[in-house]
Amino acid sequence: MHIKYESFVREPLVDGNKDYHQVSEDIIGPIEGKPGRMWYVGFFFSIILLLYGIFSVGWAVYWGLGTWGVNRTVGWGWDITNFVWWIGIGHAGTLISAILLLFRQGWRTGVNRAAEAMTIFAVMCAGQFPIWHMGRVWDGFWVLPLPNSRGPLWPNFDSPLLWDVFAISTYFTVSLLFWYSGLLPDFALIRDRAKTKLRKMLYGLASFGWTGTAKNWQRMEALALVLAGLSTPLVLSVHTIVSFDFATSVIPGWHTTIFPPYFVAGAVFSGFAMVNTLLVLTRKILHLEEYITIGHLEAMNKIIVLTGSIVGVAYLTELFISWYSQSWGEMAAFQWRIMGPYWWSYWAMMTCNVVSPQLFWFKKLRRNIPFTFVMSIVVNIGMWFERFVIIVTSTYRDWVPGSWSYYSPTWPEVGFYLGTFGLFFTCYFLFAKYFPVIAVAEIKFVLKTSGDNYKRGMEYIEAKSAEEFLDEVHASHDDHDAAH
Amino acid sequence: MSQKQYWSGLEDLNKINSHTEVEGNEFKEELPFDLSDSLFGATTPRRDFLKFLGFSTLAATLVASCEMPVRRAIPYAIKPEDIVPGVPNYYASTFADGSEYCAVVIKTRDGRPIKVEGNELSSVTRGGTSARVQASVLNLYDKARIRHPYGDNAEVTFASADRAIMEGIGAKPGYLVTASVLSPTTKDVIAQFLAKFPAVKHIVYDAISYSGMLQANEACYGKRTLPTYHFDKAKTVVSLDADFLGTWLSPVEFAKGYSKGRKISAKEIKLSRHYQVEATHTITGGAADHRATCRPSEIGKVAVALYNAVASGTQPSLSSKNLNQLITKAAADLKAGNGMVVSGSNDVNVQMVVNAINDKIGANGITVNWTTTSNYKQGIDKDMAALVAAMEANEVGSLFLHGVNPVYDYYDNKKFTSALAKVPLTVSFAERMDETAQKCKYVVPDHNYLESWGDAEPKANYFSLMQPGIAPLFKTRAMQDSLLLWAGATQSYADFWKDYWMKKTGSQENFDKALQDGVIEPAGEMAIGGATFSGNIGDAVSKIQAQPAAGKDVIELVVYQKIAIGHGGAWSNNPWLLEMPDPITRATWDNYVCVSPSHAKKLDAELTGFSEVDSKKRVVTVKGANGYSVKMPVIVVPGMHNDVVAIAVGYGRDKKVGRAAASDETKGGKNAYPFLSYNGQNIENHSAVTITKTEEKYDVALTQTHSSYEARPVVHEYTLEEFTKDPNVLLKERGKEIAEFSTLPWIEEGKESKEPIVDTATEEGYRVNGTLYPNYPYEGVKWGMSIDLNSCTGCGACVVGCMAENNISVVGKDHVLKMHEMHWIRIDRYFSGMADEPDSIQTIFQPMLCQHCDNAPCENVCPVSATNHSSEGLNQMAYNRCIGTKYCANNCPYKVRHFNWMDWNGADCIDDNIYEDGRRDDINDDLTRMVLNPDVTVRSRGVMEKCTFCVQRLQEAKLAAKKEGHPMHDGAAKTACQQACPSDAITFGNVKDPSSKIYNLRKHEQMERTFYVLEHIHTLPNVNYLARIRNTEELDALNENKNEFLKYHI
Repeated sequence: MHIKYESFVREPLVDGNKDYHQVSEDIIGPIEGKPGRMWYVGFFFSIILLLYGIFSVGWAVYWGLGTWGVNRTVGWGWDITNFVWWIGIGHAGTLISAILLLFRQGWRTGVNRAAEAMTIFAVMCAGQFPIWHMGRVWDGFWVLPLPNSRGPLWPNFDSPLLWDVFAISTYFTVSLLFWYSGLLPDFALIRDRAKTKLRKMLYGLASFGWTGTAKNWQRMEALALVLAGLSTPLVLSVHTIVSFDFATSVIPGWHTTIFPPYFVAGAVFSGFAMVNTLLVLTRKILHLEEYITIGHLEAMNKIIVLTGSIVGVAYLTELFISWYSQSWGEMAAFQWRIMGPYWWSYWAMMTCNVVSPQLFWFKKLRRNIPFTFVMSIVVNIGMWFERFVIIVTSTYRDWVPGSWSYYSPTWPEVGFYLGTFGLFFTCYFLFAKYFPVIAVAEIKFVLKTSGDNYKRGMEYIEAKSAEEFLDEVHASHDDHDAAH
Repeated sequence: MSQKQYWSGLEDLNKINSHTEVEGNEFKEELPFDLSDSLFGATTPRRDFLKFLGFSTLAATLVASCEMPVRRAIPYAIKPEDIVPGVPNYYASTFADGSEYCAVVIKTRDGRPIKVEGNELSSVTRGGTSARVQASVLNLYDKARIRHPYGDNAEVTFASADRAIMEGIGAKPGYLVTASVLSPTTKDVIAQFLAKFPAVKHIVYDAISYSGMLQANEACYGKRTLPTYHFDKAKTVVSLDADFLGTWLSPVEFAKGYSKGRKISAKEIKLSRHYQVEATHTITGGAADHRATCRPSEIGKVAVALYNAVASGTQPSLSSKNLNQLITKAAADLKAGNGMVVSGSNDVNVQMVVNAINDKIGANGITVNWTTTSNYKQGIDKDMAALVAAMEANEVGSLFLHGVNPVYDYYDNKKFTSALAKVPLTVSFAERMDETAQKCKYVVPDHNYLESWGDAEPKANYFSLMQPGIAPLFKTRAMQDSLLLWAGATQSYADFWKDYWMKKTGSQENFDKALQDGVIEPAGEMAIGGATFSGNIGDAVSKIQAQPAAGKDVIELVVYQKIAIGHGGAWSNNPWLLEMPDPITRATWDNYVCVSPSHAKKLDAELTGFSEVDSKKRVVTVKGANGYSVKMPVIVVPGMHNDVVAIAVGYGRDKKVGRAAASDETKGGKNAYPFLSYNGQNIENHSAVTITKTEEKYDVALTQTHSSYEARPVVHEYTLEEFTKDPNVLLKERGKEIAEFSTLPWIEEGKESKEPIVDTATEEGYRVNGTLYPNYPYEGVKWGMSIDLNSCTGCGACVVGCMAENNISVVGKDHVLKMHEMHWIRIDRYFSGMADEPDSIQTIFQPMLCQHCDNAPCENVCPVSATNHSSEGLNQMAYNRCIGTKYCANNCPYKVRHFNWMDWNGADCIDDNIYEDGRRDDINDDLTRMVLNPDVTVRSRGVMEKCTFCVQRLQEAKLAAKKEGHPMHDGAAKTACQQACPSDAITFGNVKDPSSKIYNLRKHEQMERTFYVLEHIHTLPNVNYLARIRNTEELDALNENKNEFLKYHI
């Protein structure tokens, strides 16, 4: 009988022959060098999209929201659909960094930095929609409970939209702090390796004078835990509160108590899919396959199939309850959702979100990178349709048939959406160029326990029989004792 | 004063130079600003940076807070005696558009008319109005009005035009063509003119002809006139293609009377019965209890069948079973007495048969009044035909046209146009460069009626005076003044008019009273009398029978008037009316071909499915027998006869008629008048056409996509039988929805009853216990509205009345297409029945406005509390506070909140971003903006708005009562929609006042018919509806609950 150093299900978290220096070289190297051609091309297109988005928004602000397709019956269209979609995507990062940290999931180290960055950028994108969907955006600051000379006049604390303001701004702040505090040791590392003055200065500033002392580490670990503790409820609360926008209303299809868990599951679902999309590209472009391993992607895919199934159950529950309630409003809302003029959006959602993720039950497919990539996009298309289905296909045929209408987006709405892609990818490209996309310090932390070469270093021990190993242990203990 | 001097130091005392300099400098220290030229080149110190930051933030704040560009408001230098700023003046007057008549009261603010209301003192229209009457004030400020006289299409002075015209009227025969003249003084003026120029004759031409009826009445009763119809006295009304609630003769008057017979309560169950036979689907058909369709050419045979059934009990054998059944039933009801038959046909023979039926059933003298006759229509088609023939033959030397536009609306307008060119002197009195005026040598523009003195005699001995609400805006002159002048009279028309009425009324006092009241009427009830029928009925019947029946495949086209646009005229250019959704089709801004659902299928157009939401409608080519052909989109209208199509007149106007009316290939519709036909005696509103499908599509802006109410408790309707059997049927239905929640869940009392009936206690219990939140105790005034679905005819007067009162923006076709229309009150129209069987279609109208919910879903979702509840039960909007999230609109179950999607009216803080589409833009012209009600904010872009219950009127009523020191009387505050309604469907008042009408209606009189829309979601609306009771056997709508759901579905 042989003993095992570690369970065989524990795959190495870092492949290849790595030592601390190699890790620094692999991850910090791209920051120090010139970016590749693909980076420039990608960055250029992102900027173009961003500018187009700014133009589209400017157009709507100047001429009015009538340039959009939303109307008296469907008051929210692509704007809030995209808001909820981006916010959902923004869930993965914090979930990975906070909840997985609390659960001591070592594999998070490979993906958490990029995922958190994605979260922050996604929340930034999401925030644009509730801002620019306002008819008088210049008065938008009235939602803030600022002391004022207008009475004083306070916002309406009963309004779920106001809760959104608090939930999202809190989430954004905490996520940003969490992300940034993790970046400190890595910035210090870049600073220490820097060969140009400017870089040394900028990264020096960014690293807040990190010196790597034990006190530094102790404080950072403590902060990480505190922030993890803070963000964990936030991961659950943000989308819960977003779902309140709908759940507290009186519109059939919105007025649903299942929404909070359903929204959170959907958010994790779409967030993980987005992380997969980005990681597959990042590992390829920055040659980080050894840090973001297939094992990482598989772990993500497992969560996708789990949350996808939760979402599927939620969809079916909604259908069941609408029948079980025997409430005509509910039944009709789902009838029109499934068979009305928007039938295609419902079925697109069902196919992308419920049916296709089930393929991840096959290990081969979970570990197939092109398939993972395609699925990650399919899932996000599905999740976009989910939000569209909830928002538009509830209001378009609500209580009074005389008011029913239809909705199609116009170019400024599509442009706004594309613009947020521009914003997202502009940020992401800058991040990939100037920030360590993988948490160097954390990788080093797990390297000697979970690195491939270190695990292989144990093979000679594992090759021994149990007795032999025991003898050796005793012998070394004896030697030890003898030395005394 | 002491000469004592104080000094601060020796420098001061001795006035040392350097000190004086320092003293003059207010800021002695070095200023922290870097004001040197090097500022922008210099490195910016931190403090400067902060300063710039502060400055730019301040600047941005200032820019952001200047919401409204400042507009000049110039006060009066010398205040006119009777104008108090902020206080409106009212002047009784008369609305007259050719033959259309309504007694009105003009509301003026600061000397400009801003609203027209019905005059309640008139016993003809009794305070009712129509959409057009409500919109007429906008015509006054129409930018397309002519601003000076024209001669040969160039500006001339009145003097030069007068000279030329007087010289031009030669000895050759001339004609003065007018629309029906209701005014006695105008008739006198015309007589003076004709006396001066004996060669000139006066003929009357009505674009919508009633010549057949006039001739039939002459043949039957010896009087070329129209009777007065007393719909209020009729137990049975049979209408053969007469849209008497919408467009036939005098709809306001008829709607008032008709609605009296439609009022029903559980306390007094009685209801008139209305049979309608029609080819198209009108709002009158929608109001009917029994409805069947026929071809327009068959209406004569239907009349004959009814005559035979009434006279001899003959079984009808018409083209459809439904028609036969309807005729049999109608005949039986008519024979029971108090019946009335009306027909919209312009065929003399048909009208003679109708007269014969009315005679047979004894209607004359009871429901059809031949003593007090009506003057609405006077035109005889033959006269006009003769005139055109004379013009063609070069026999006409001069032609004067007032209130008519034959180049546009004559059935053979081409012939008229070419004949017009042969007349040496042509003079038009048009108020705009319409199609005919453009072709006239001289245009001597007449005033708008709101600028005119005048009068009307709508019925024999029932007079109504017209007085101006404003001095003429442009260089226009009353037509009567022109005629008097040309006739050589020295007196102006105003003086002539005053003399006339002074003489008639007898004294200054009486004259003043008449002018103040606006009407001069005989005392007491209207005199009613019959007449002896002496028509040759046998001849009429045989002529009708001799008409060949239309072939099976022949498609007949009906030319009809839209409720909003009517015959055309100035209305074609009225943006309020163009944007008012047609009651039946719910379409705006265009005309189109109305086609039945089964016919539409052949043309590749559908009523339901995706076609509902697709604004791109199939275009077809419609070709008339005379070769006239138009390409138009198809609108599918259930209830149309399957072989009949219909096109509305009033569209396809020339671009000089106005920007909103202007038509071309892409907008403005097509002219349908050339589809009229002339049978040698009368112009008929139908003709045979061929229809061919094209592959083109055209956007039609509809405001409603779905036509069925899906048997939802949004609308409640019952048959008279159901309601008679169990008057509590609605209360039981409501009980099923709400009784369960009217007591707390742990209280068992009162729960055992299987069929709970809603009563006041249940309602109160539901209000308090249906929510977790505490109940707000309303004290003092609480406003409430009740809308009777039995009375509402869908005519749209309320919609336009609301637009006028509340400065509702017109958004234009492109934005109606996007469902961005702003109407605070809309009239939902629902069909039920089988789409393929036009006779099965039942229609119901439901005015929908803000329900002012006491538990309003919109209020709690607004993040900034811009919408909130008043202590009087009003759901209010603070426009200034609104940031435009649209959350409230989403959460409104009734979808009555309207967002200012664009800068409709220039009221937002960005200059130059006003929305323009080329058609609606005149609405923002400085001239047109004079119509705005200064009591109501013009909402800026980006804010939500909705019905306020006319809060400005409520405030005014409360303040008036307070000033006079008494509690507000019931009826002191009226909403604009309520006031506009010709059928008194809307009741409004203080629901806390036990003496108020609304209180009694809800709690006693109409308790059994009262319901609230979507009551079960606990919104607690302050608007209630009264269930529709149909005097018929079967309700189609309820079939939708049965198994054949899909079969019955519309």
